[in-house]
Amino acid sequence: MLEITGLTSGYGGARVLSDVECKIPDGKVTALMGRNGMGKTTFIKTIMGLLKTEAGSIRFDGAAIERLSTFEISRLGIGYVPQGREVFDQFTVLENLRLSLLGHSIKSQDGLDQIYEWFPILKERADQRAGTFSGGQQQILAIARALIANPRMLLLDEPTEGIQPSIVHEIGEKLAAIAKETGLTILVVEQNVDMVRTIASDALFMENGQIVDSCSISELERDDSLLRRYLSV
Amino acid sequence: MDILPVFLDASSYILILILVALGLMIVFGMMGVINMAHGELFMIGAYVMVMAQSYGLPFVAGLILAPLVVGFLGLVIEAGLIRHIYLRPLDTILATWGLSIALKQLIVLLFGPESQSVVGPVDGSLVIGDFQYPIYRLILMGASIALIAGTFWIFLKTDFGLMARAVIARPETAAALGIDTRRMYRLSFVIGTALAGLAGALVAPLISVDPQMGLGYLVPGFLSILVGGAGPLAGVLVGGTIVGGVNNLLAVWISPVTALIAVYIIAILIIRLRPEGLLGNRRAK
Repeated sequence: MLEITGLTSGYGGARVLSDVECKIPDGKVTALMGRNGMGKTTFIKTIMGLLKTEAGSIRFDGAAIERLSTFEISRLGIGYVPQGREVFDQFTVLENLRLSLLGHSIKSQDGLDQIYEWFPILKERADQRAGTFSGGQQQILAIARALIANPRMLLLDEPTEGIQPSIVHEIGEKLAAIAKETGLTILVVEQNVDMVRTIASDALFMENGQIVDSCSISELERDDSLLRRYLSV
Repeated sequence: MDILPVFLDASSYILILILVALGLMIVFGMMGVINMAHGELFMIGAYVMVMAQSYGLPFVAGLILAPLVVGFLGLVIEAGLIRHIYLRPLDTILATWGLSIALKQLIVLLFGPESQSVVGPVDGSLVIGDFQYPIYRLILMGASIALIAGTFWIFLKTDFGLMARAVIARPETAAALGIDTRRMYRLSFVIGTALAGLAGALVAPLISVDPQMGLGYLVPGFLSILVGGAGPLAGVLVGGTIVGGVNNLLAVWISPVTALIAVYIIAILIIRLRPEGLLGNRRAK
């Protein structure tokens, strides 16, 4: 469980998040929704320790992580798929995956077999440079790279941004299946409503640097007024 | 004038220059730290050899001690100074420049301003017919090539190198994959300084060891990086060969002053025409 209380952070002097409160329950996929510039990416980066927590606390399974370095947070079991994917273009697919194993000091290559089973394309193209991949394939690689370290929780920042619609659906189904199979907790920042419907069970809405509303996806199916209010869909 | 010894002399100079520039490049490429004290670390490597010989230790002991002592010094410098100014190139120039002055004065206090001499491990010459050449210079070249190849191997073939290159390309993403970027910075800085120390000890028998010797390698070292391109390690090979080759050959054939003028004109032209350096376009990102 990820518990966030009174979280305040931002860039330098500019405060983006103020007094964010929320709980991300274990074993569920939670979507974080909201318009651009509302603080969603800032929120994810603050959890990951990439931005400094100015006030408040972030507890992961009871342990305070808001003062830890990014690599320590990662080693505690929080995987991160950044916005824009950020694969290492000059490295091969296998090198991208191995980096995650090395970072987590995992000697065994068993994780690799599991990843290849989930994403066969990565096995076929293991020796290809990641930079030659399409956006969707890079997204798959970025997700696989986070999953290979066997995290307890996965943070995904706009996984469908700039990706072909056909692959978006495929990635959504795959993530939903993996979450179901492994019981992985996922927090996904997403504006694509179809993607949210495919994978998430709950939704949080962010506006002006605060979590302002939440609901389950089934409620969202019955009544989309929240979507209209916070996304102007 | 026999042409082969001239080329061999140029080659040994080029190889030492590449060793110095490699250390500079690792530190700059990885951490954005422009280390103005790199020349002094090279100098201290030579002084460790002077010390070792004054205590009657064999040459090889000096070669082992120099990278250890200078690498340890690098660790202290990283923890005490560099760590606080990562990725702030202008501040690193000022801070490390100050450090270079302090290190130079420290050596003057300990050894005096005069030059010291180091005795090479072998003083014979290789003689083949009319051709003869000092054996130690050949050993120096072989050792330099092995060190350069070893450094490339570490950064291009090992797990450590893969992580180091990941940290260079995308530090935040590397950290999010569990890689301790601070530790990688520290290890790379120590490797870069240890290389400088070893280069200083290796070259000590061939030059006059004095407190000012660092600058003579620092400036062409930086020029090599600018000419070759501060991205791929191979840029140092190209840059070092051009800068060192022109400097050394023209100094012999025409005059040292002409050689320096030519080096700067070539460097300015290359930087003007290809601001990223000759191999800089393939910068890993």
